[in-house]
Amino acid sequence: MGERDSVESASQDKAITVSGITREFGLATAVDRISFEVDRGEFFGFLGPNGAGKTTLIRMLTTLLKPTSGQAIVSGYDVAEHPSQVRRRIGVVPQAMTSDLDLTGRENMDIYGRFYGIRSAERKERTDELLEMVGLAQRADDLVATYSGGMRRRLEIARVLVHRPALLFLDEPTIGLDPQSRRVVWELLKKLIRSDTITIFLTTHYMEEAEMLCGRVAIIDAGKIIAMGSPPELKAGIPGNDIVTLRVGGLTDDITAAIGKLPFVHKVNREEDSVSASVEGGAQNLPGLIDIVRASGGTILSASVHEQSLEDVFIHYTGKSIREEEAKKVSFLVGAGMPRRLGG
Amino acid sequence: MTRLFAVIERDLKKFKRNPVVLGMSILMPIIYLVILGNSFQGKLTDLPLAVVSQDGGPYAKRLVEYLMAVQAGPKTFLVLPMTDQKKAVDGVRTGKYKAALIIPPDFSKRVVVNGRPDVGLFLDNTDSISADTIRNLIDAALSSLGSEYVPVREPDGTPLLRDINLYGKVDYYQSLVPGVVIMAIFLGTLTTGAFNLVMDRFLGIEESYLLTPLSKGNIVGGLIISGLFITTINALFIFVASVLITGIPLSRGFGNFLPVFLVVVLTTLCLLSLMFAIMGRISHPRIVGVLSGFLNVILFFPSGAVYPVASFPGWLKSFARVNPEAYAVDAMKSLLFKNVGLGNIMGDLLFLSLFTAAMMGLAIATFKRTL
Ligand SMILES: Nc1ncnc2c1ncn2[C@@H]1O[C@H](COP(=O)(O)OP(=O)(O)OP(=O)(O)O)[C@@H](O)[C@H]1O
Ligand SMILES: [Mg+2]
Repeated sequence: MGERDSVESASQDKAITVSGITREFGLATAVDRISFEVDRGEFFGFLGPNGAGKTTLIRMLTTLLKPTSGQAIVSGYDVAEHPSQVRRRIGVVPQAMTSDLDLTGRENMDIYGRFYGIRSAERKERTDELLEMVGLAQRADDLVATYSGGMRRRLEIARVLVHRPALLFLDEPTIGLDPQSRRVVWELLKKLIRSDTITIFLTTHYMEEAEMLCGRVAIIDAGKIIAMGSPPELKAGIPGNDIVTLRVGGLTDDITAAIGKLPFVHKVNREEDSVSASVEGGAQNLPGLIDIVRASGGTILSASVHEQSLEDVFIHYTGKSIREEEAKKVSFLVGAGMPRRLGG
Repeated sequence: MTRLFAVIERDLKKFKRNPVVLGMSILMPIIYLVILGNSFQGKLTDLPLAVVSQDGGPYAKRLVEYLMAVQAGPKTFLVLPMTDQKKAVDGVRTGKYKAALIIPPDFSKRVVVNGRPDVGLFLDNTDSISADTIRNLIDAALSSLGSEYVPVREPDGTPLLRDINLYGKVDYYQSLVPGVVIMAIFLGTLTTGAFNLVMDRFLGIEESYLLTPLSKGNIVGGLIISGLFITTINALFIFVASVLITGIPLSRGFGNFLPVFLVVVLTTLCLLSLMFAIMGRISHPRIVGVLSGFLNVILFFPSGAVYPVASFPGWLKSFARVNPEAYAVDAMKSLLFKNVGLGNIMGDLLFLSLFTAAMMGLAIATFKRTL
């Protein structure tokens, strides 16, 4: 200790305070003057497509990367000045799987606990309790090499809780998992935020994940925050309340323009053979939309109406969808922030 | 302390789960001893030498007898008497013979007249080591003709020269033992310690422990200690095996066991620290692969394990002066073959300790706690 006096008094009640943090790799700016605050006990999410800068941001907040400029205070300490104090207080689940394949689940947990200097008896108790919680008690003594991806991820979440961190960082914790394993991880995180006085900072490129888990979400694209607030606030912040998506045979720009001119339509977006429009009262106005398409010479192949989601918020601000980006995600490892060497 | 032990235990556990590596690191240096011992023989033998004698005189006979004596004794060449000069020379060209010796018809006469006869020696000088050896031996044979000494055929297996050895008899295989133990240490330090860090970094696992409160010293120190543990045991095993295989008298091999143990530990620490200083920032195992061959050559061959440091040219000698493996070989040779105690290898031990301290310092200073 002895560093008590360096704690910024203004940020005592904040888990994270970030001001103007920036990271450049050579000429490219991965994170561009980002500022935000996270309260203690909050579940805060960063939502953004591939390459938005999520991993770079988390690495700066968790002392793994030095910011090019700007400041971050995490758990009361400046990450650049007191990295070891920060490390002691946080738990981090990086994007790539980082458990040791040659060790058993229990060994992974035990050794990690020792890295934090936790006493043997407490370590044992905590390990059993956490393995039980993530549903790995039965497989605890098998090598991690024999685990499935979902099991490995659950182990890593359990492992990071051994030292009871006050602040938990998770970088795309459900990427690469099937829907079922994803749900298990979600339940786990929900349970955590309910039962403990823990703050969770999560990044994701799944809008349902952000929407379901996070109290507050920042949407990040190309290194910048483009919108921030609770999911309902974010959705209320863009015009319209429903999204109507039409697949149209013989779709032309004229048809798209005609749709855009309707009084109840706020915004249209064309993607190949489909148009999506943000609409006031989607269900009531669907017939009107279909009429205008037919009148302009198009044929309706399919039509759907859904409530606006964070995806639509993202489209509203960036003009592109996160899903498009998602398809480009090649593999788990490549998505992990490689290559680290280039210009770094 | 708990943290340091945790790093060590993690590394040892992972090593234990990889029995193939364990087996290979024990087997390889022993195979190395066998291959090295048989390919870098101390002396050359059985070099085919075609001899065409066109002179029936006494000195020509004496020369051939001398050559036959070499064949019977140290077996340096295989004398093949022939009559066709052209065939003999062609044989050298095609690689059938290493050399052809032509004794001209007036050979004996010339010895009597001016004591300096001429012979024709056709050498395959693409193989300079054999060529030099043959030339020297023929030279010696020619000068011996002047004296009245007639070499007599000695019984098989008795060398012509009787050496006066200062120390107990050391055969070529035995003299390789220090080198093989050093090789085992080198291989061990290459595949433990810093290499495990490079591997973790490559697999992206490093991130998980950089995020914990482990200090630089915990990480570097822990990996070095676990590497020391594995490599020392391995090297001692190989030491015992090669003492038994090469028949070094047990009193000498094991009488000095404690000092040998000390040299092994210190050499291991030294090379582990060196590896850490070199590889501490490498992020791809392929670079380690490329480096390993290079390091092996520049550390091992100038160490005196195979050729004596004294015969190196000046610049290589100065390199040997800062090469830790040279000090390790010297210490081991002293302990095994000169039967001296710790007192006589203090200089070696001091150098190894200082080198270790410097490299460890460099390794910790250059180790990056960030990505
Ligand atoms: N070490 C590095 N050297 C050079 N460029 C880098 C480095 N790390 C990241 N980048 C670049 O910074 C940008 C942000 O990368 P980052 O990994 O933070 O994105 P991300 O939001 O985590 O993406 P993903 O969803 O794929 O994980 C990318 O353009 C990436 O290429
Ligand atoms: Mg990422």
